[in-house]
Amino acid sequence: MTKTSQRVTAVLFCVFLAGFGLLHIVLPDRTFSPVENRNLRQLPAFTWSSLADGSYTAALETYLADQFPLRDGWMGLKTRYEYLLGKREFHGVYLCGDRLISRLEDDSRSEENLACVRALTGKTDIPVYLGLIPTAAEIWRDRLPEGVDSFDQAAYLKRARETGAVWTDIAGALAAHGDEAVFYRTDHHWTSLGAYYGYAALMEAMGEEPVPLGTARRVSEDFFGTLYSSSGVHWLQPDSIERYVDGAGVTVVSDGETHGLYVDSFLAEKDQYASFMGGNAPLYIMRNESAAANRKLLVVRDSYSDSLAPFLSQSFSEVHLLDLRYYRTPVAQYAEENDVDMIFVCYSVENFIKDTDAALLAQ
Amino acid sequence: MVFSSLPFLFFYLMAVLAVYKLSPLKIRNLILLLVSLFFYGWGEPVYIFIMLLSIAVDYTHGRLVERWRENDRLARRAVASSVICNLAILFFFKYWDFFAVNIHALTGIPLPVLGLPLPIGISFYTFQTMSYTIDVYRRDAPVQKNVVTFGAYVTLFPQLIAGPIVQYKSVAEQLEGRREDLEKFVSGIQRFTVGLAKKVLLANAIGELWDTSIAAQDLTVAGAWLGLLGFAFQLYFDFSGYSDMAIGLGRMLGFEFLENFRYPYISRSVVEFWRRWHISLTTWFREYVYFPLGGNRVSRIKWVRNILAVWLLTGIWHGAGWNFLLWGLYYALWMLAERLFLGRWLEKLPGALRHVYTMLVVLVGWALFAVEGLDQLAAFLGTLFGGGQLWAAVDGYHLRSYLPLLAILTAASTPLMKNRWDRLGERARSVLTPVLVLAALVLCTASLVDASYNPFLYFRF
Repeated sequence: MTKTSQRVTAVLFCVFLAGFGLLHIVLPDRTFSPVENRNLRQLPAFTWSSLADGSYTAALETYLADQFPLRDGWMGLKTRYEYLLGKREFHGVYLCGDRLISRLEDDSRSEENLACVRALTGKTDIPVYLGLIPTAAEIWRDRLPEGVDSFDQAAYLKRARETGAVWTDIAGALAAHGDEAVFYRTDHHWTSLGAYYGYAALMEAMGEEPVPLGTARRVSEDFFGTLYSSSGVHWLQPDSIERYVDGAGVTVVSDGETHGLYVDSFLAEKDQYASFMGGNAPLYIMRNESAAANRKLLVVRDSYSDSLAPFLSQSFSEVHLLDLRYYRTPVAQYAEENDVDMIFVCYSVENFIKDTDAALLAQ
Repeated sequence: MVFSSLPFLFFYLMAVLAVYKLSPLKIRNLILLLVSLFFYGWGEPVYIFIMLLSIAVDYTHGRLVERWRENDRLARRAVASSVICNLAILFFFKYWDFFAVNIHALTGIPLPVLGLPLPIGISFYTFQTMSYTIDVYRRDAPVQKNVVTFGAYVTLFPQLIAGPIVQYKSVAEQLEGRREDLEKFVSGIQRFTVGLAKKVLLANAIGELWDTSIAAQDLTVAGAWLGLLGFAFQLYFDFSGYSDMAIGLGRMLGFEFLENFRYPYISRSVVEFWRRWHISLTTWFREYVYFPLGGNRVSRIKWVRNILAVWLLTGIWHGAGWNFLLWGLYYALWMLAERLFLGRWLEKLPGALRHVYTMLVVLVGWALFAVEGLDQLAAFLGTLFGGGQLWAAVDGYHLRSYLPLLAILTAASTPLMKNRWDRLGERARSVLTPVLVLAALVLCTASLVDASYNPFLYFRF
């Protein structure tokens, strides 16, 4: 090796390591990562006790990784390196051609939570409907990398029919339209189109005709969803978001505040899916005087119901959307007190099998 | 702190090198002692006291051996006392719980289980310090009268937590004065970067394969072998990567450590494998256990005893668990078999078959090593040898996901790339070295920033 080459190597090594070390100190810390959609670790406060038990240095290491200069770029580079080596699974998310599909594993609560629904049907005389939304890993099983293990949602849904609640066959409806864009490519939620088929399945279970789909209005073409964030696969095209219901005459009340069916300000943020109704909240009460029927529906739900709500607003004059994670009240009691006409328990399989608040269904 | 981490690379290493290179030669050992204590205290600050205790104990014993040089009986007692102290520290922190649990199970005598976290690297540094007193007694090494210099040897951060086990006699002169120049510094950078890449880009990348296999509900025969292959690669690239990093860091600071791995997976017998795997440990056991017991210059019965002793100790050194003892026994039996009769048969076989034989022995050995709990081990071995479905679709998925990496790992387990590199002209190497070093740093940084999987495998050693 020539002397020049030795000097260049030594300088590169030291400048690279010392340079990024200094940059790390000089550059301001971020509080939130839009790409990863999570809060980043801040500099831990020093205490002697946290030093002694090792938690200080552990927190410092997380802080250094979270605030590392050009973090998003490094993460993308690592994912590409692994992709080149043949990997197709990144942080529990499969890259399937031009889309991402989250891996689903069975959870210990899957059977227990079905029993909670069974208990609810015995607790109240109000008709209870159950609709479980399979994830893309089930509907698009054939798009997963060949041979991967995936929780058998079809078998689970078969068991879920036996709770005594009226079964809403959302899986069948989605599977019948499996070649359409029923899930986002970069997000785990169903699209408005997918939600419409879910709505149609509910109407079918009720023995009614669904309101026709209508025409799509595209409100965003740059939506990067949760799977984009968690996988680190940053080279996919963004999703678009469509709306089929214009929301005229629909009001949504949450925590004393009234707004429309959509909250457009979220379209300018990372979490564009929250533009449906406004994202997670303990309780939304949605009213539509020009709905097809004058009746009250209680939906016990997770975030998949955000994009389902626009369609429900056309068939129910009043819909209460209750999220048990944040609104901790016995469901039967809530339904009686609010004099609802029917209860629709509607979860994604992914959330339902690990939900820890389903006991409120049984109380 | 571990080498393959952001705080080490981007802050600690650069700060240490700057302070070290700027300080006068005279105080460099002091600097080394201080920064090494900091390095050690990063994860478990409380355990710095064990380090200081270790230094004090062995420094004193070395001096005592020297003082009682004329009186062999006393000198021997000093050596014995040093060995007892070191083994007591090791036993207390590493083996007490294992001992207590098993004594309780066997005799019903209740002994307290302490559940203390194992001080990182304790098996490495207690072995180093033990060898010091013995070497002083054997006149293989001079006594060290400067406690700072001795402290620097005991705590030397490059090899502190994952080896190699540097015997005092191999660095005694270097501790007093060492050559430091650009050439050595850059060769240190190269070696360190190679080790870092082995650990971060190869070992970490294959590590998840084994974790997936062992966690699988219905593991197939193919899945078990594939997972085991993944573990074998992970352990080799992780461990030899650490040794490379240690040797590289040593050179940056002016030290030369002995090699610890020499392409073990190209071996054509089990005996050869152990001449190439974790050389500093096998050397240690040979010099301080096997030879003192008489080695092979004794009756056959005693020789068998010696082999068993060395390998059971080697096994339990790797962790306080029955599976590690079993693993040691397993190798004792293969060693005996090869020396007694198998070796002669093997010589008649073609090289490729001898290689396949060795790899099978080693892979099954890693199963004993990796699967803790005798029930789980029995179940895993059952699957490995045909108890279960042969093949499932998920194995195909894993094979496809890891095939390019497995090819790279296989090539990197042989001297192919090294030979290729050595055959390149000086000019090509001069151009490629800085480019490759930078590329490796960039990729390693990317992997460490997204630190979803970066295990430290030697927490049991």
